[in-house]
Amino acid sequence: MQKKLTLWLLGAAVVGAATQGCVTVRPEQRSYLADPTMQFESESPDEAQLQHVLENREGSFGGGSIKGGGCGCN
Amino acid sequence: MRRRTSLLTWLRRPLVAASLLSALVLVPRVASAQVVEVDLSGAVFHEPSEKSAMTVYNPGASLTVTPWEFLSVGVHYEADIVTGASEGVKAGPLSSPDVISQASVTDTRNLVTGSLGINRKNTSLTASYTWAAESDYKSQSIAVVAGTEFLQRNTRLELSYARGFDKVCNVAYPPNRDPSVRTPLDSSTGCFTSAANRQSQDVDLDTFGGGWTQSWTPFLSTQVSLNFGLQHGFLGNPYRGVVIGASGQVAQEHHPDDRARFAATLKGKYFIKSFDTTVGLAVRGYRDTWDVLSQTYELNAERYMLPWLRLMVKGRYYNQTGALFWSDDYTGGEPTYGPRGQYWSGDRELSPLRSYLVGGRVLGTWKGTKEQRLLGALLDFSAGASLDAIKTDLRDFTLAGDAPDDTWAYVLGLSIHGGF
Repeated sequence: MQKKLTLWLLGAAVVGAATQGCVTVRPEQRSYLADPTMQFESESPDEAQLQHVLENREGSFGGGSIKGGGCGCN
Repeated sequence: MRRRTSLLTWLRRPLVAASLLSALVLVPRVASAQVVEVDLSGAVFHEPSEKSAMTVYNPGASLTVTPWEFLSVGVHYEADIVTGASEGVKAGPLSSPDVISQASVTDTRNLVTGSLGINRKNTSLTASYTWAAESDYKSQSIAVVAGTEFLQRNTRLELSYARGFDKVCNVAYPPNRDPSVRTPLDSSTGCFTSAANRQSQDVDLDTFGGGWTQSWTPFLSTQVSLNFGLQHGFLGNPYRGVVIGASGQVAQEHHPDDRARFAATLKGKYFIKSFDTTVGLAVRGYRDTWDVLSQTYELNAERYMLPWLRLMVKGRYYNQTGALFWSDDYTGGEPTYGPRGQYWSGDRELSPLRSYLVGGRVLGTWKGTKEQRLLGALLDFSAGASLDAIKTDLRDFTLAGDAPDDTWAYVLGLSIHGGF
């Protein structure tokens, strides 16, 4: 019981710390975060093409939407 | 028959030409719209090899129109034009190398996507439909992505779902025929017609995704994403045969009909002010019900070399275990080369392997304004080029005991973007 309570408190502390951390970046401080180099979704289509190649050469997938070609026939 | 396709040749292809033309024709008609974005791209994938070289050309074109701030409509076209050769039969070290023969591969896959996006101040909803077809494979899929931002836009949550309805061509063997006596498909002739010796088999795909992107400081943000996928249907390669008997008996590759896959990815981006460079790190773990377990580590760095020119370099390491039923040779006895139960595979992607990637990209971007457009028409313009080299280290895969020589691959990408 005490272990469960400790885990809950720890979780709440992490979430609380995270939430506190979030609002410390104010809109006027976001110039670097707004830069294209800081975006996770690449603006260049060659990243999607490379991902397509890797998924056809490796046995795992994840992170993209389904576009067919699932049998790897070619 | 091997076919070489040049850049000019694929530009002359009717579907590519139609896409480019429609993009250009549509632009003046929506001139009153707030933003029209046109993307053109091309990639060349080349796998050098003495006997089984493979080249894939991947042209693409996208048009996105945002008539009002809350609505965006997009259409995307791309093709995979494949020429090369691959091994039709997989054999292990206990078989004679004469069993291995190369079959030429020439095919074109066309893919079209239409999408509709609704964007409010802090939320977005995108729905898309994709149709793709090649001579022996057809697919349709729908996808929905919903995202919301809060805590002064420092937190973004995203949920996605995609459903694929695919069909793969196969030999029309009776359903009760034992897999060990099924023969591989010899060609795509007659596929998706009423030919008596062909059938189409379903492949159903469901993918669920969730993502959490968080800005922690003015220089640091992270992203956690989870993906869960279910595949059901014919999940092998109908063309591939595997030697399963000591006497040289060849049967069509036989995989389980179901596969559940799970991937978790953690990414981080940090802007190093003293170097004026953004560094990115990504770690991904993956596991599926075929017992393939993999880890991926990627590191990249990007910086402005000039105010309009960015350079990005990256390195990636990938490692995976083999599938539970993987064996390099299904003809021998346990333990070394023994059969792995009721399934057999010649797919190197299911063997234990490592993969190394190094690459880079240059991207030039130019911004105009509504009053001062670039070349009198463009709000923004960018052009990029990328080159990646991939080396795959197959730890347990041979062709009758010989290591394949097609383990290097190169990907060259070119792209241009224009906003009107």
